[in-house]
Amino acid sequence: MTARAKKILLVILAGLLLLLSGRMQQSLNVERDEFGLTHVAALDNAPPMLAFTTVALGGFRGIISNLLWMRANDLQQDDKFFEAVQLATWITELEPHFTQVWTFLSWNMAYNISVKFKDFPDRWRWVERGITLLRDEGLRYNPDDILIYRELSWFFQHKMGQNLDDANMYYKQQWALLMRPYFGDNGTNFDELIQPSSPASVQLLHDFTNQFKVNPAFAKQVDAKYGPLDWRLPEAQAIYWAALGLDTAARHPEKAKADDLITLKRSIYQSVFQAFHHGRLITNPFEQTYSLGPNLELIPQVNAAYLEMMASDPSMSDHIGNAHRNFLRDAVYFLYENNRVAEAAKWYKLLGDMYPNKTIIDNDTNSFPRNVTMDEFAISSVQTDVNETSQERVTSAVQGMLSRAYYELAIGQEDRYAGFKLLAAKIHEHYTASTSGFNGDKRIPLPKLEVMNNFVLSQLLDPQGNVPYAMRAVVRTRLGMGPETNAPPVPATSQPGASATNTPALKPVE
Amino acid sequence: MQPLLAIAGLTWKAAFRFRLFLVLAVLLLASVIGLPLLIEDDGTARGFTQILMTYTLSAITGLLGLSTLWLACGTLARDIEECQMQVVLTKPVARWQVWLGKWLGIMSLNTVLLALAGTSVYALLEYRAGRLPPAEQQTLRSEVLVARGSASEASHETEIAEATEKALQERLKSNPVEKVDLAEVRKEILEQVRATFQLVPPGYTRQWQIDLGHPKSYFQDRPLQLRIKFNTAQGGGSATYRGAWQVGDPASTNIWQYETPSLAPDTAYEFAIPANLCDAQGRLTILFLNPNSTSLLFSLDEGMAVLYPDGGFALNFVRGLGIILVWLALLTALGLMAASFLSFPVAAFFSLALLLVGLSSGTLAEAVDSGSVAAGNEETGAAGHSGADVVLIPAFKATLAVLGLAEKFSPIDALSTGRSIPWSELGLAVLQVDLLLGGAVSLAGIFLFSRRELATAQGTQ
Repeated sequence: MTARAKKILLVILAGLLLLLSGRMQQSLNVERDEFGLTHVAALDNAPPMLAFTTVALGGFRGIISNLLWMRANDLQQDDKFFEAVQLATWITELEPHFTQVWTFLSWNMAYNISVKFKDFPDRWRWVERGITLLRDEGLRYNPDDILIYRELSWFFQHKMGQNLDDANMYYKQQWALLMRPYFGDNGTNFDELIQPSSPASVQLLHDFTNQFKVNPAFAKQVDAKYGPLDWRLPEAQAIYWAALGLDTAARHPEKAKADDLITLKRSIYQSVFQAFHHGRLITNPFEQTYSLGPNLELIPQVNAAYLEMMASDPSMSDHIGNAHRNFLRDAVYFLYENNRVAEAAKWYKLLGDMYPNKTIIDNDTNSFPRNVTMDEFAISSVQTDVNETSQERVTSAVQGMLSRAYYELAIGQEDRYAGFKLLAAKIHEHYTASTSGFNGDKRIPLPKLEVMNNFVLSQLLDPQGNVPYAMRAVVRTRLGMGPETNAPPVPATSQPGASATNTPALKPVE
Repeated sequence: MQPLLAIAGLTWKAAFRFRLFLVLAVLLLASVIGLPLLIEDDGTARGFTQILMTYTLSAITGLLGLSTLWLACGTLARDIEECQMQVVLTKPVARWQVWLGKWLGIMSLNTVLLALAGTSVYALLEYRAGRLPPAEQQTLRSEVLVARGSASEASHETEIAEATEKALQERLKSNPVEKVDLAEVRKEILEQVRATFQLVPPGYTRQWQIDLGHPKSYFQDRPLQLRIKFNTAQGGGSATYRGAWQVGDPASTNIWQYETPSLAPDTAYEFAIPANLCDAQGRLTILFLNPNSTSLLFSLDEGMAVLYPDGGFALNFVRGLGIILVWLALLTALGLMAASFLSFPVAAFFSLALLLVGLSSGTLAEAVDSGSVAAGNEETGAAGHSGADVVLIPAFKATLAVLGLAEKFSPIDALSTGRSIPWSELGLAVLQVDLLLGGAVSLAGIFLFSRRELATAQGTQ
């Protein structure tokens, strides 16, 4: 072969290889994008140092990131956490578009590191750090990433909302203190945030959006659909971030996987269910303490969320159906306890209609809805609750007994009034005795009976409530209270410290 | 001595002539002042002080360590390559004096720079601590800016060995085993016996009696701290466990009780206990009740320790800097040794490579543990195998044995966690790192330098 022919052959070969590498590059780019490894996209709003780092280090970023990750892991093994924040910052700066980096590091802070501290304020700092990292930084560089929304929602719903962490009441308290200035005494005030009427309100809105990255207008939409929620509680945030994730997914369908959407929806219905169970703050203005009780106003929304979830996730419909049935049982029981018998009957009928072949009383194989009256079901549930150590259920049971007692008082059944009050006291006493010792009372606290009584009474006597004026007047007379005025009924529902007083900060029930 | 000092003086002059001293001093001060502005802490005064101390001392050690290697290689190798050494050696000065003079010069330079940087760090720490609220200052001075000694329970190894042997003999009588299985059976029994010392079953108690090593009067009115760590058989991320503690002399009424409501396994916790709880012999008795439904395991080595005040932070800090200086002395000897027979670039590369090997001890240890330099199968658990193992594994073991002499001293770790660095540890560091390791390296360097033919043409000429 002549030299000329060789050259031509080599040129052809070079061209062929170039073509092939170009084709391979395309598939590589697709995979990089799929796995979140694409770094060519410019970082929006990135500080100069981060922009410089991501460009200047090129492929070496991965190696440095790995080394930092190993150091973080080694230090954590040795119980040294003081570098965790710095290392997390560096790692995420090196891999700002790698979703798993954000979700893992923030989860590690909120879940793993937090429980390594014995003092609750220390734990809260790490939970807050995890949330801040994800919300303030992760979403800043990955605003369309569904997984980050899902993780953020999970932190609020699971870490803060549930009671798996012994410090969960402390977390809720701290969050309530943070939210109170923005959402008011009842946790439902959006007006000043959406339409600020004064320079102070404008500043409040600025602080709120700047610090918590929540859009009040969207929050109100969420509240309208799933509420009324108490926005001082973590469940409201869990629903907000999951809903925002769904909204983002709708705007960027190419980035949303079907499984991600299901987990976001699941997060919403689980959070709404939690809010139904313990979505109302019961405060004690005299002792500056608070506890949680069920939010019965959410029952229709929880039901709707379950139905929607069953429709959108047929593969899990049996599983969700079981959860829905349990929810309906709870709804009937809680309403019945709180003397809202007509509403309880409505949901009891739905329970029977939707699940006619499922038993509704534990350990009773014949307790199909058609065989059991609502009264029988409620009584058996009370019997179960007396032996329960679930704070939510016992709170509901005690409140229900007290509510029933005042109803009996209003209709002149003073013996029954005394009987229900006594029963409430007994359930309270039984629960307290069975959870005391080794600070169990701190983990699953129950408000003092007097506080719960004040709360129920204030609800009953609230002029804005559902109780007729005549009935309120009778109760007031029989209890030796003065006539109704326009002033707030009983101080138990008002959040302490919100008005211009010198009341100290809230502290958990002890 | 005069020739030694003269050579050391020349090294100082060279350091100033090349503006090395000035550049290093500025870099060190910049790292001390600049790092606090850049680093992010966990939001607590304690965390900030710990990260500040860790990062500034690490930066100082790193900067001084690299400059020491560079200077040590350069000062000797370049003198030889530029034929200045040939002129120096025409004077009445022995080669070993030149070598040691250079070592002394570099080390005195390091001492001054380290003192400058160390004083700056100390001043910064004190300044920041002084601006904290009293409560935070109290926490800081009892947990970080302090020198705390540590006392643990007396070793149970003899009892464990005796009990193991006894159990083994009984087992052999009732159920003889093959000779080849004897070691395995013994190991199994040993673990069972060890577990009886470590496990606290549900509802049971475990008592530790710890001799604090000082008479009771030493601890008069001085609060102590307990450092505990336990494991459970049930893994699972966020699970926490309760505990009830009683500390004090059981024979007296001077007893302190405490409930820990929520502790995670595999985590070291420290909590303060009141003063004056130890008995007349300076012993502290600690009783733990396990109220959980699962057994807790307090390992014998780090399950329980008592931390007590053992001197001030300032002196502890000086001892910590002393250990850093000990490391620098070794690096100086290493650099000079390399420069004794290699040209400057090769000597620098050689000593840096040795340093890298030293810093890779974790990788070497992993290879030794697995018995091979080849990767194993993670799914089946089968160990890897390589033909090079015959040579490399013994070499790695020897390297680790040598590195072990220097590695166990970690002053930055101790300082940032408020742990005491006793004089004995500093003395041991001098003995092991400088006299033993550094001495061997220095002897090799002096020997090589003495035997080197300086009149031959040098590689870079």
